Amino acid sequence: MALLQIAEPGQSAKPHQRKLAVGIDLGTTHSLVASVRSGQAETLPNSRGEPLLPSVVRYLVDESPQVGVKAEAHLVDDAANTVMSVKRLMGRGIEDVKRLGSNMPYLFEACDQGMPMIHTVAGLKSPVQVSADILRALVQRGESSLGGELVGAVITVPAYFDDAQRQATKDAAQLAGIQVLRLLNEPTAAAVAYGLEQQESNRGEQQGTIAVFDLGGGTFDISVLRMEQGVFEVLATGGDSALGGDDFDHALAEWMRQQRQIPQKLDLAQQRFLLRLARAAKERLSTEHTATLSFEGWPGGDAYTDLTLSLEQMNALLDPIISRAIRATKRTLRDAKVSLDEVAEVVMVGGSTRSLRVQERVAELFQCQPLTSIDPDRVVALGAARQADVLAGNQSGEELLLLDVLPLSLGLETMGGLVERVIDRNAPIPVARAQEFTTYQDGQTAMAIHVLQGERELVQNCRSLSRFELRGIPPMAAGAAKIRVTFQVDADGLLEVNARELTSGVAATVQVKPSYGLSDQQIADMIKASWSNVEDDRSARSLREQQVEADRLLEAVTMALAEDGERLLMKQEQQQIVAQMEQLVMARNGQDHHAIAKQIETMAKASDAYAAMRMDDSIKRALAGKSVDQL
Amino acid sequence: MDISQDYFTCYSLPRTFEIDLGVLRQSHRVLQQQYHPDRFVGFGEAQERLAVQTTAYLNQAFATLSAPLRRGIYLLQLLGMDPMAPTNTQMPMDFLLQQIELREGIEELSRVPDPEPAITALARELQAQAEQLEVDFSQSFAADNYLSAETAVRKLQFIVKLQQQLDALEGELLD
Repeated sequence: MALLQIAEPGQSAKPHQRKLAVGIDLGTTHSLVASVRSGQAETLPNSRGEPLLPSVVRYLVDESPQVGVKAEAHLVDDAANTVMSVKRLMGRGIEDVKRLGSNMPYLFEACDQGMPMIHTVAGLKSPVQVSADILRALVQRGESSLGGELVGAVITVPAYFDDAQRQATKDAAQLAGIQVLRLLNEPTAAAVAYGLEQQESNRGEQQGTIAVFDLGGGTFDISVLRMEQGVFEVLATGGDSALGGDDFDHALAEWMRQQRQIPQKLDLAQQRFLLRLARAAKERLSTEHTATLSFEGWPGGDAYTDLTLSLEQMNALLDPIISRAIRATKRTLRDAKVSLDEVAEVVMVGGSTRSLRVQERVAELFQCQPLTSIDPDRVVALGAARQADVLAGNQSGEELLLLDVLPLSLGLETMGGLVERVIDRNAPIPVARAQEFTTYQDGQTAMAIHVLQGERELVQNCRSLSRFELRGIPPMAAGAAKIRVTFQVDADGLLEVNARELTSGVAATVQVKPSYGLSDQQIADMIKASWSNVEDDRSARSLREQQVEADRLLEAVTMALAEDGERLLMKQEQQQIVAQMEQLVMARNGQDHHAIAKQIETMAKASDAYAAMRMDDSIKRALAGKSVDQL
Repeated sequence: MDISQDYFTCYSLPRTFEIDLGVLRQSHRVLQQQYHPDRFVGFGEAQERLAVQTTAYLNQAFATLSAPLRRGIYLLQLLGMDPMAPTNTQMPMDFLLQQIELREGIEELSRVPDPEPAITALARELQAQAEQLEVDFSQSFAADNYLSAETAVRKLQFIVKLQQQLDALEGELLD
């Protein structure tokens, strides 16, 4: 806010000098850096005029690492020291990496926090360090193109990135010595690149709903944004992290294999041959109606005759894959409570949106022509550059404001392995929310706080972000302590958790800084699973709840019996209660929550008389030997 | 900006159930433009933190006032009432029976071969009921009849839950 920038006349530091800031698209396969110059956002190319920096780093003995094209050249001959697709490893644990990747040719080793470290000739490298090396190269390019030191950078992240992945990205920037002005969601950046806030809609108003359709090689993201008077607000994000343009190539390759009855078992060279043929066919069919596919040079003894593929045939092969993206799009629109005809503009991002069939299907769905005029590989970096220019303070108007949402729900573990949601997915950030909890046992002096992210109801199905303990709670009866846990998510989407016991003021705070995060696949699976498993979750939840209730009752009765069972009850009464307890234990260990509930009721009835006796007894004892006026 | 003030004061709105959502949205945008952390980049940690807290407060205020159910609950809370207290469980029998019927209706939908028309019809019915309860609340509240306002808002809570359930089901079935 301008009012707070107090500067004495004459002391202000060169008021008209622009501060140098860049936008960085830190991508899986390639990265870009862009900046606003003379009012125009442009990507900054290397000395050969290439804007794309392959996101590949090669480590060498006693030499600084190679980044980009130079490193890419050694992907095969120095595979173990040449790291690619490091974005997939960001914010993940060694376990996730093992699951992910037989196709990653690196030697991994876990460090003490469970972060995967890659063995290279230059020593162990964490994904954060590798990303930092890429960022350093981009910053160098930025500084030499712009001719000065940068005040900071806006770095883009996928909208679905969880807390751990965002934190890892920010850590990488810190390691590279760059001030992060903001972590910005990629779809928001794309919408900003088109300058949609400066256009007027058909109705002559500066507002409208925008869909950002981002189809990359291996992932699909869809975001719904609302734009109103310079404010971009993300309404919902969704997608499918196992859907991308690579699937197109595989579908075409598979069709060719079947057409020529090539045996299913293909070696690597044959697979590559078919995929190359598939890509060539796509290319040809973007301008012509049919493509002839030649098997000349087929690796392996057999010879196959040429194939002809028509545009219609290709579209029929691609359509089922595109339909999956269309379904995810509809689902996200529903999340955003937006109907198809309310969408004013569709922004296309990602190399695979160059496919004309994709553009046709999207146009057909929304009944409007998608925006494709900006190179889909560069659009995200260009938008980030505009935001960097605003945040560095170079724009006087302060019109542009980007408001993002939380990609996945945040919650806490409660009794019985259940997750209590504290902040729902798609809540606008920054956001703060408090929830009160209480102690479970008499005299409990500590409470474990377990922070989780995900859409499912059971702890085991969500991602654990952090665990910490609140200690020093004064001993009180079960349920008397009031523990308030506050979640705060900042504008970068990063979480901080506070816990405080309200009667005593005991407090604990953690900046949630997990050593690893979710895999993209896990996030997609978690979101999907929360839809398909609603029923499962619900009955699992009921079962856990009844089990907790049963345990509580069993514990209370056991303690009471030990205390005064002998004194207050006849032998037969004691045996009856014990028999009921045994039945409850059996039901509790079963899977039927109805049975447990029924048994709890029976048990409670059976012990009612005993409870009344105990209450009378304790009143009598409290009153014993005291006169009325002493009370 | 004082983040301990009540949400109505924050947006300069009268403390009533009937509010102008256009005015709310417009004030929210103006305040966000002013207080969002993006406006405080490079101002130091204390200022940036304050901006996060202020904007979190604004987001909470907007979410509370823009949804009728939450707005109703909040109005009563400002009077020291706790309409959603777990001890507060008494509801008229006929209303509860009707709720059970509606819930069963939703569950049956998953067994219907073409559920879309039935879902649309049910959604419309729930919406009509919600709107009626909002009118009930508004009138009771304006007449200082807080107990009947409380009943209305608690009924509304049931309807909103059913709407969410129906939404989720719609998502599953029409996918």
